[in-house]
Amino acid sequence: MSSRDVILAAVRAARPPAVARPDVSMLRGATVDLAANFTAACVVAAAEVVTSVRADLDSLIAAAYAANGRQVSAMSTTSEGVTRPHSFSDTDVFVCEAVIGVAENGAVWLPLSRLRYRAALFLATNVIVVLDRARIVNDMHEAYRVVNVAEEEFGVFVSGPSKTADIEQALVIGAHGAKSLTILLLDE
Amino acid sequence: MSRTLTVLDSAPVDHAANAAAFNENEARVDWHNESLGLMRAKRDRAVEQVPEWEALRAVASSIKEHTLSHLDEYLTMFEAAAIANGAKVHWARDAEEHNRIVHHILVEGRVQYLVKSKSMLTEECHLNAYLEERGIDVVDTDLGERIVQLRKEPPSHIVMPASHLTKEEIGETFAEHLGTAVGLSDPTELTAAARIHLRERFLRAHAAMTGVNFAIAETGGVVVCTNEGNADLGMALAPIHIASMGIEKLVPGPAELAVFLRVLARSATGQRVTVYTSHVHRPEVGQALHIIIVDNGRTEQLGRPDFWRSLKCIRCGACMNTCPVYRRSGGYSYGATVPGPIGSILSPGIDLRKYAALPFASTLCGSCTAVCPVKIDLDAQLYRWRQIVVDAGLADGFKTVAANVGARVLSNRRWLHGGGAIIRIIMKLIPMNVMRRLSGSWGKTRDLPVPPGESFSSWYRANRPAKGPP
Ligand code: SF4
Repeated sequence: MSSRDVILAAVRAARPPAVARPDVSMLRGATVDLAANFTAACVVAAAEVVTSVRADLDSLIAAAYAANGRQVSAMSTTSEGVTRPHSFSDTDVFVCEAVIGVAENGAVWLPLSRLRYRAALFLATNVIVVLDRARIVNDMHEAYRVVNVAEEEFGVFVSGPSKTADIEQALVIGAHGAKSLTILLLDE
Repeated sequence: MSRTLTVLDSAPVDHAANAAAFNENEARVDWHNESLGLMRAKRDRAVEQVPEWEALRAVASSIKEHTLSHLDEYLTMFEAAAIANGAKVHWARDAEEHNRIVHHILVEGRVQYLVKSKSMLTEECHLNAYLEERGIDVVDTDLGERIVQLRKEPPSHIVMPASHLTKEEIGETFAEHLGTAVGLSDPTELTAAARIHLRERFLRAHAAMTGVNFAIAETGGVVVCTNEGNADLGMALAPIHIASMGIEKLVPGPAELAVFLRVLARSATGQRVTVYTSHVHRPEVGQALHIIIVDNGRTEQLGRPDFWRSLKCIRCGACMNTCPVYRRSGGYSYGATVPGPIGSILSPGIDLRKYAALPFASTLCGSCTAVCPVKIDLDAQLYRWRQIVVDAGLADGFKTVAANVGARVLSNRRWLHGGGAIIRIIMKLIPMNVMRRLSGSWGKTRDLPVPPGESFSSWYRANRPAKGPP
């Protein structure tokens, strides 16, 4: 018998008495001021939130990181034209647009199609995520109802810049990934 | 159905002796106790902000019980979906088979450099040693794990692997291995040095290994939760991704996943969610995705009517952070991959003789059960293991209350000057509302004694949780 069949047979023999699948459709947090709560949650996660209108997007990005070096934008109409993810290791600023934001925890959903250059999200020193203010949901229950996480190869909820507390539990921002995360919360 | 327990011939873990050794440095014990207490306090504050917390715990618990009671169906559902997604699925009965599969994948892919993100399963399988013996360069990339790897130590905590070390000790390790300045102990600067050191490792890795926090049966995807971004750097850069998971990691679908993502980080560190919650469903063009599903004793635990619920564990570490014995005895005192209350109910199922002492490394105060986000009845299972250990004749030396490990750890010499000393120490460690419940008849009929050197009210203000568990 293959290991697969041995394990499955052992699981079948060991099955505890059946427990019904609980109904999770009723679960949701209290209805809240979505933008206000999202912003507050971002602050807790050490992300910066800038509120503006979409017409100002280009100047906002330019102003935020004028002095910095290499900028990679997944929103650009031109392609980076590269295949090796390692080539993004010198990225100073990476820009992309989220599908949704989650008010309860400040997370934004970024599937591969929105990232285009997946490695850049994790290699870049600074990350700017654009989010349409109308695309904020209340909590994770709603988030998983709105997005199909299985649609693409890869997708990630990101909440704040990378961090660690592995040395005496002192919070340090910028462990391996982004050292700063800015959310541009835009009205159309 | 009654099952025979494995009683292997291996050196028993002497938790009391290990704890006593840890207690020789009183300053360190106090520091360790307080630093984990801080985590517990952060968890309390995060939980207080979620009015539906108890409903979430109840649902999280029943989702896990439902999944475990239909586990064969969910495993095959997951396998079919993952294969359809283009992943290669492997099955491993034990640690040896798991390690062999990993090594085989690496050899086939001509991999010399492997980066790993945190995975308690690969610790359990002793994968690093296995691969290093075969010439693979293995680098743990989680900061805490890298620290203990450089020191050739195992992790002492499942969420914070280096929580037993001071920043000065870590500074010494980095000075020796990373060439940082001697005497450097600032966490920000040490982290910056590790970032540079590990970035180079990420860029040259041929393969990345990750653990799996949740596997979604309906969609065949795996979910990895991290704060540092190390798992993602590995996965995004290396052409081969190997994800190892125990059979108990399954959840039915994305709707259920939402419940666990709401409780995991809050319970672990007091964050609302981890920085990165990554969903891997298909390999990218030019990449290979391998998923290894591991048993290694889990089906045996599933078949034990008294203990199968321990498989609900989502490895948040909250039971460790709150445990008065763990906090004062340290993670290594358990001599097991998973320490603390949950480790003490998992380990005896793996090797009863070796881990016979662990169910006694508890005061049975119930604080672990009160914080567990999936409502595992940890204290009841510890008590049940004690009975089994005693029945098996393995309790010599620690079965009496006087020699009880928990009591010995807590009866630090400094406080042993008069009756009721142990109670005072327990009081210092356990939230008041839990204390009231466990203190039984005398707790109801008279005021609890005030620990010396502090007024009761100031002590209570400083020690009570913002909103404690029931
Ligand atoms: S037993 Fe519960 S509290 Fe302990 S690590 Fe597992 S899920 Fe967390």
